[in-house]
Amino acid sequence: MESHVRSSELTRRQFVRLAMAAGFGAALTSCAGNGDSAPAAPVRAEPSPVGDNAYLAVARGADPGAITRTALAAIGGIERFVKSGADVIIKPNICVDYRTYEYGATTNPEVVAILVELCLGAGAKRVRVMDKPFGGSPDSAYARSGIGQAVEAAGGTMEVMNGAKFRTEDIPAGQDLAKVKVYQDILSADVLIDVPIAKHHSLARLSLAGKNLFGVISRPSQMHANLGQRTADLVSLVRPTLTVVDAVRTLMAHGPTGGNLDDVRLSNTIIASHDIVAADAYAATLFDLTGDQISYVRAAAEMGLGTLDLESVKVEEISV
Amino acid sequence: MSPRIWRRLRRATQILALLVFLAIFAYTNAQRPERFWGDVFARLDPLLMVSASLAGRVMLGGLALAAAVVVLTFLFGRVWCGWLCPLGSMLEWLGPRRSARKALPEKLRLIKYLLLTAIVTAALLGNQTLLVLDPITILNRTMATAVWPALRYAIVATEELLYQVPALWGPLDAIHGAVVQPLFQDVQPVFGIGVLMAFLFAGLVALNWLATRFWCRYLCPLGGLLGLLSRLSLVRREVSDDCLGCAVCSSQCPTGTINPDDGYRSDPAECIVCYDCMTDCPSEGTGFRWQLPAWRPARQHDYDPSRRQLLGVLGISAAGVALAGVEPITARQPATMIRPPGADMVDFSALCVRCGACVRVCPTQGLQPSLFEGGVQNLLTPKLVPRLGYCSFACNACGQVCPTGAIPLLKLEEKRQAVMGLASINRDRCLPWAYNIPCIVCEEACPVADKAIQLEEVRAVGAAGESILIQRPRVLRELCVGCGICEFQCPMGGEAAIRVYAPTDVSTEGAIL
Repeated sequence: MESHVRSSELTRRQFVRLAMAAGFGAALTSCAGNGDSAPAAPVRAEPSPVGDNAYLAVARGADPGAITRTALAAIGGIERFVKSGADVIIKPNICVDYRTYEYGATTNPEVVAILVELCLGAGAKRVRVMDKPFGGSPDSAYARSGIGQAVEAAGGTMEVMNGAKFRTEDIPAGQDLAKVKVYQDILSADVLIDVPIAKHHSLARLSLAGKNLFGVISRPSQMHANLGQRTADLVSLVRPTLTVVDAVRTLMAHGPTGGNLDDVRLSNTIIASHDIVAADAYAATLFDLTGDQISYVRAAAEMGLGTLDLESVKVEEISV
Repeated sequence: MSPRIWRRLRRATQILALLVFLAIFAYTNAQRPERFWGDVFARLDPLLMVSASLAGRVMLGGLALAAAVVVLTFLFGRVWCGWLCPLGSMLEWLGPRRSARKALPEKLRLIKYLLLTAIVTAALLGNQTLLVLDPITILNRTMATAVWPALRYAIVATEELLYQVPALWGPLDAIHGAVVQPLFQDVQPVFGIGVLMAFLFAGLVALNWLATRFWCRYLCPLGGLLGLLSRLSLVRREVSDDCLGCAVCSSQCPTGTINPDDGYRSDPAECIVCYDCMTDCPSEGTGFRWQLPAWRPARQHDYDPSRRQLLGVLGISAAGVALAGVEPITARQPATMIRPPGADMVDFSALCVRCGACVRVCPTQGLQPSLFEGGVQNLLTPKLVPRLGYCSFACNACGQVCPTGAIPLLKLEEKRQAVMGLASINRDRCLPWAYNIPCIVCEEACPVADKAIQLEEVRAVGAAGESILIQRPRVLRELCVGCGICEFQCPMGGEAAIRVYAPTDVSTEGAIL
């Protein structure tokens, strides 16, 4: 073939070589950087010590927003958890896109909105709210649950979890689950607030803060074969900074999706603690159960991720 | 007005029409079904609307919009083809620089008229299989099952590569949230027919190398219909005495209908009124003129179908419809042919025009165009494949976008009760049934308020011989609507341990339950 190419121009062959080199370089970068199995997840900063505040606060009252504020204030205020400039993620339970919050399948929008407001008030750089529904699409779930509008009105951002940001992580303390594919932002955020709705679940008995973390991994159905230990293993990796259990409208049967208002009980309660195990253990008592009877709460306690012994810690119960 | 303006005006109109088509396609989805204008191209298509009305024995609202195209055609000829049709425009632009040297036999123009005859005959007999050849359905189906999914795949793969660089997360998040998620949602669509559709479309484009606008000239049944109407059009091309016989027009004509051997005259039925001949003419030798009061229908050409040919096609298509009657689906709904919600309330097979609108908007992408599972008579009609995507409890978008009511417009509350099928557990594969492994995923996911899947706690023998308590799922037929989320979520590899099959008929009217 005759060549009329000036030396400054690329020949096709040169171009292909360059492109291959660039591709190889990109692949190398990926090995060096955030590879598919990162060695260790970033360690989230611990909240400030409890001090004289309540270890666990329980607020009761008819106004979900007010009792959320009260519970937070009793454990030392949001400032214990959110420092100025912090990147905050709030993880409510938005499991399906076909139920409004009245049915008790998804977290109360007012509770989430107040948390967004408090975080921004404490100087958070940004507050994102997200969940990965198993029934329906995230956009419509955010809308129908009422959480989307409430969060945006409060100044937060709804994020649809992007498939490209799930990566396989080792679980160093894992006993039954050595690796899990988890949403990277959940691990890298400065503050993670776990805001489950307390509700019935046929295998776990109750879906609480530990169970709520199923929404941050790519394949939740892998958890069920040994739900107790695997959930506890996941908790050991994710370590929420703060747990706020929404027990305003508790779904007592046909969970986790519900659909009968007869199954919903007005419990009008918010439970807040830095200790996810203690918060879940207290929430269990609202269903006449104990933390010990919920497999994943017991397993998490056995791993030292929190305490089941509510007698040994300062629990403050407030009526508003 | 300078003749040149026509070329620009037409190009602008074509681009605009294609952009509107693509914008509607990209914009409409389950959250934005836009039932008042989302299906506007289907409703503009007279072939589609007439065929569906004939086959479905209904007066479709879309006939009104299609009538506008018919009126336009009676006035000016095949304006739709030359100015508006998004498929026609794409085929005009995706072609060789120079047109083919060797002219194809004129007789080929006959094909589109015969296809049209076959479609109308079959529609009268309640069959719409050949509407798979309608240009709007071709383009929509190709976009929905091949182009759009492939585009999403490419974009997401690029994102995944770029997300390897932590410094890019900020801008990538911003782009994903503002553009990728609103346009492509969070489900990667997969379609068994996607690659096939892409190849068929490529084939249509390749035909342009044999003759420009090969599809529009020879094959398009909608072009055939509009061609027939154009023989009566009021504004037609004429050649004046100023013609120099330079042959510029005949060599450039995109449908090759200008005949040098006939004084550079053309057939209004073949002319797509692009006005290139008028623009390019060095001598004002041709133009488009009002025909009244001396109006007469355009004359016959050799390629126009003869009475014998028409009768032949009529007979063949009637025989074809009869032959479809020997397909097994006539006797029994195949076990896995699950129709969209509410389809059983109407004559679905007769109404469905195979436009793919439902397939496009299905938020889980569980609606898939069938190949031959439902017989030739149901070619490319939607069926739910729960393993790929379930019928979302929060969604009635397919009924909203369906241009013919083949999928009825149900209120969400009605749709939730529309029975599509019945779930059935394979106890030889189900984790708790076959292997004593705890799993309640199907029950957990069941959206029915009282749960159409119930768990029974039983004592069983574990792997180490110990006694264990295990929950085993059971389907409650009375509650199951066959949405298929259980089959979709079942953690078994490959085939799910719970599957949705065509509905049972035990609860048919009159039965004592």
